Amino acid sequence: MASIRAYHRPTTLDAALELLAREEVRSVPLAGGTVLNGLPTEIPEEVVDLQALHLSDISRDGAALDVGSMTTLRDFVDHEWTPPALRDLALRQAPNTIRNAATIGGTVATADPESGLLAGFLAYSATVRITRASGSEDVALHDFFDDHNPLDGGLITSIRIPIGGQAVFEATARTPADTPIVLVVGHLSDAGSLRLAATGVASGPVIIDPGLIDDLEPPPDFRGSAAYRRHLAGVLAARVSGRLQQGGAP
Amino acid sequence: MNITIVINGDERQLVCAPHETLMSVLRREGFYSVRFGSDTGETGAAAVLMDGRLVSSDVLLAAQADGHQIETVEGMAPPMSLHPIQEAFIATGAIQSGYSTPATILAAKELLGSHPDPSEAQIRDALSGILDRETGYLRPVLAVQRAAAALRGESLSDVEIAIVAPLTFEMDGIADPEQIPAVSPKVVPNPEVPDTKVVGHPEIKVDALKLAKGNPAFVDDIDMRHMLYAKVLYSPHAHARIVSIDDSKARALSGVKAVLHHQNVARVRYASGGQSYPNPLPYDQVSFDNKVRYVGDRVAAVAAETVEIAQEALRLIDVTYEVLPAVFDENEAIAEGAPVIHDEEGMEGAHDAGRNVVHQIHADVGDVESGFAEADEIFEQVFQVHQVQQAPIEPHISIAYWDSDERLVIRTSTQVPFHVRRMVAPLLDLPIKRIRIIKPRIGGGFGVKQEMLIEDIVGHLTIATGRPVRYELTREEEFVSSRTRHPQTITFRTGVNASGYLVAQDMKVVANTGAYGTHGLTVQLVSGLRGLSSYKSPNKRYHCEVVYTNLPVPGAYRGYGAPQALFALEAHMEDIAKALSIESLEFRRMNWTTEGDPLDVAPELGEGESDSGFVPVVTSCGIEECVAQGERSIGWQRRLDPEWQQPADRPHIRRGLGFAMCMHGSAIPGLDMASASIKINDDGSFNLLIGAADLGTGADTILGQIAAEVLGVPLDDILVYAADTDMTPFDTGAYASSTTYISGMAVKRAADAVRSQIVERAALLLDEGTGGIELRDRQAWSTDGRSVGLAEIALSSLHQAQQHQIMGTASYVSPESPPPYAAQFAEVEVDIETGQVTVKALVMAVDCGVAINPVTASGQVEGGMVQALGYGHCEEMAYDDEGRMVNPRFGPYWIYRADEMPRIDTYLVQTMEKSGPFGAKAIAEIPKDGVAPAIRNAIADATGARINAIPFTPERVWQALQTSS
Repeated sequence: MASIRAYHRPTTLDAALELLAREEVRSVPLAGGTVLNGLPTEIPEEVVDLQALHLSDISRDGAALDVGSMTTLRDFVDHEWTPPALRDLALRQAPNTIRNAATIGGTVATADPESGLLAGFLAYSATVRITRASGSEDVALHDFFDDHNPLDGGLITSIRIPIGGQAVFEATARTPADTPIVLVVGHLSDAGSLRLAATGVASGPVIIDPGLIDDLEPPPDFRGSAAYRRHLAGVLAARVSGRLQQGGAP
Repeated sequence: MNITIVINGDERQLVCAPHETLMSVLRREGFYSVRFGSDTGETGAAAVLMDGRLVSSDVLLAAQADGHQIETVEGMAPPMSLHPIQEAFIATGAIQSGYSTPATILAAKELLGSHPDPSEAQIRDALSGILDRETGYLRPVLAVQRAAAALRGESLSDVEIAIVAPLTFEMDGIADPEQIPAVSPKVVPNPEVPDTKVVGHPEIKVDALKLAKGNPAFVDDIDMRHMLYAKVLYSPHAHARIVSIDDSKARALSGVKAVLHHQNVARVRYASGGQSYPNPLPYDQVSFDNKVRYVGDRVAAVAAETVEIAQEALRLIDVTYEVLPAVFDENEAIAEGAPVIHDEEGMEGAHDAGRNVVHQIHADVGDVESGFAEADEIFEQVFQVHQVQQAPIEPHISIAYWDSDERLVIRTSTQVPFHVRRMVAPLLDLPIKRIRIIKPRIGGGFGVKQEMLIEDIVGHLTIATGRPVRYELTREEEFVSSRTRHPQTITFRTGVNASGYLVAQDMKVVANTGAYGTHGLTVQLVSGLRGLSSYKSPNKRYHCEVVYTNLPVPGAYRGYGAPQALFALEAHMEDIAKALSIESLEFRRMNWTTEGDPLDVAPELGEGESDSGFVPVVTSCGIEECVAQGERSIGWQRRLDPEWQQPADRPHIRRGLGFAMCMHGSAIPGLDMASASIKINDDGSFNLLIGAADLGTGADTILGQIAAEVLGVPLDDILVYAADTDMTPFDTGAYASSTTYISGMAVKRAADAVRSQIVERAALLLDEGTGGIELRDRQAWSTDGRSVGLAEIALSSLHQAQQHQIMGTASYVSPESPPPYAAQFAEVEVDIETGQVTVKALVMAVDCGVAINPVTASGQVEGGMVQALGYGHCEEMAYDDEGRMVNPRFGPYWIYRADEMPRIDTYLVQTMEKSGPFGAKAIAEIPKDGVAPAIRNAIADATGARINAIPFTPERVWQALQTSS
């Protein structure tokens, strides 16, 4: 019978990494649990709950935020340093019952292909800090998504978000709170460089080039054909760019 | 493993398995307020406070809560008392079925702990994780506002009704639109309606206490020793023959107690729709068949010691299928060469099973062809309506067990307890007298529980094992394997004369009834009845083919064929008005059916009255006033303002307003039967026993109000009990907008019978004639002002002299079905570059006769409109090429959430319907009828795009904009 057979709650990072490193059991890190317990792609044999590892602080270091991986979406939304666009994307990510449990690290690790928040992180050029027994490394979020096994026995311990510049997003959805069919978020750095990211146009959130939208090959579903999604990406990217050029006006 | 959780302040050491969710452990520990709605965290019915924050306990492991503080509603107030938040939910009418009320109350508690004076947006965000299919969120938001004021120490006034002055005749009420409060209920009075003491007042729901406190009240809220858990193996194929089933491995699994399938269960044909005897043909189902006809069809059932073992057993059943070609579209299913879905032996009662045609329905009034010959202009349009699911937050659940007399008891979430008892008996080979059906509180139904859906499964398994068996559908099973709304292709053809009056109307429907014909005939009868009743035309024709396909099975869904018909009709009428250059409200007014007009298709398309030839006439109609109130509320004149239509600062936005006229029925005439029994207790209180099935609508409350009014007592002297086939008299059940009108009349008659016995006893005690005695304020009053209390009367009659039990029983069937009317308006914004439609406002003014309880009536309209909004705007069952539903959960299916609602406004326009109890007509279903066409007409108003298919999802609208511009 496929079900979780053991639950661990290590109190040190080393202990957590040791539990996850065991080759004889299929164990996975457990953050908020809203995906692992609700919409699992595969049921693990054992889970390693990260709640006792003190990974839920948000700190600021110059122009970047370090968001502990166990920070809940709720705490991220409520934090005074969170950029408004990312706050709104986190609000839109999930209703409060989920936001109060789901974490930033879990959101990155489970990589919901329609996550507007992850697109926001991409636009902000966020990096993922992965800690392994051998030490830590920072990986650009888009590289993290491109890698088939980005964790490789490690744990996401924080997300680093450079918070300079400004960002806005535009989305098309069936209803105001629904998961967007296509969402485009744009970030304009203080130096004036524009970075766009989108959901609904590829198999996951991606950085897009406004000049190459016609080359996108979005996977279609019942809410939007590939051609329609390309059309939306073009319209929404133009709106986002326009708003940023006018100083982020709504 | 051992865990320690502080639950409502008590530290508890618990043993749980590592995989167990917090929801399951809390329920096992007796915290029944934590309820199952899904196992994905998406409904919020299982939300609890963990360390003060609202979280979905169905997606938390119990182990994750180890060392934490958990709060549930059980901890909020001791017995006999209420927390101010609970009081506010009760006072504002925020509770309908109450299934998710505990979670909603906890959401309020968390919010108000940190925000004593929250904004509406903050309240709506706090409720965003708790899906509500019933209230439209309006009253829960009011409840949180009221609770906030209470907790701030402010004094609270009673919840009042706004009496709004009529616009089409003179009467007192608030006339200035600026002074009309934003919240409902808003009641438009009528001089014909007499004053009453209990009826017509916003009485507190009789079941509010248990629901606000999360007390055990639903099917699953009992513990049975040695209970087994059932799971059902559902077909992975849309159409296949079962070549073989090998259950040996499943039976060998430890903990498995029974495995049932077509090889070991008797083949008894039946139709599953919960309807009066004899159930309409065809009887095209058996408990387990050797063929499957849709993805999600039953193959086998297992009972085991745990859900997990049962699930594992399903995996171990080896089934060999011979996969057959499948067909999903209703028009393709009747084409030459389509696969035959019911080719089994003994298939009887279908119109032409070889062509997949279950029913052919035809009705004529006048001569439609000669009508068209006279017409100056003829308009023809084709409309498509799709498949959606009722999605009650409590899915189907049944528990069966043998009682001490070895009678089979089935405690089940049903709208039709009496039909279920009669229908399940032959399947289980038990006489009806050996079956008892108990309907406790129900967590929403909307028609999907007007079905004998899973009661046979738990019955078979209890008979096979001798043990109690529980079966609850998962959310995915509820979507795929229960019931849905019929898709249809509808063609309207209308002939109009030069003055703009209809002279001929022809409606053709091809309806998709999926794999089985349950409700297929009657839903489509209603489509024709409703499609051809709103407007007068001397010549009408209805022709319909109801068709089998390999889709999941449509059945009863609130509205029952009317939402489909009225989407097409109201879109069609709007377009004709446009083509004729007649203002759209005026065109409806010229043609609508009003007081004194015959309902001429009713004899042709009714279920009960077809043989009598009796043509009913409309006896009360408030449509004119409904339109006037709705027109004012929506700001109809803005249609003429180009600056409003195209806001200068948002160049890609177009705004529009739309209208739909609605007309429904009140019960099935000549067929729906209800009965009631009332008896007095020693203290002058009364037991009211009814078979009617309150699904959360407030039926028990309004039936109690009717009894209280007649008996001259406050509502809390009436103890309402429903429904239990052993204890309560017969009622056909909760469907066809029948409870207020039919069950209400039965209660009124039973109360009249009790009243006359009370009067007789009072005459004896007061030593005077019965002639002038009146009942009021718990007393019987003589003409000269003396009185005797009902308690004294009860004690006298039960104990002292000429003893007898004062009690009365009555039944009611109505020869007619007086139509409620409504004006539905919608305001939309359309993004013309993306096709995204945002619904900004929905206004409905309803003539439901006299509203017995304006708060519960208003709640029916608010919640019904929001369900209808989902139907028109976003909900759809989507399939892959093999007929597998691709979105069987709330995220991708999407029902509206608290934090994205349009403005909702409701007016109750009173009329005096003399045939109904205290003037009442029905209100339950009419709110489902007009939203989709009103949105459609608003999109047309905004953009010119006339879209003849629902839902109005962005790509569909964008495509329409490409071709219309």
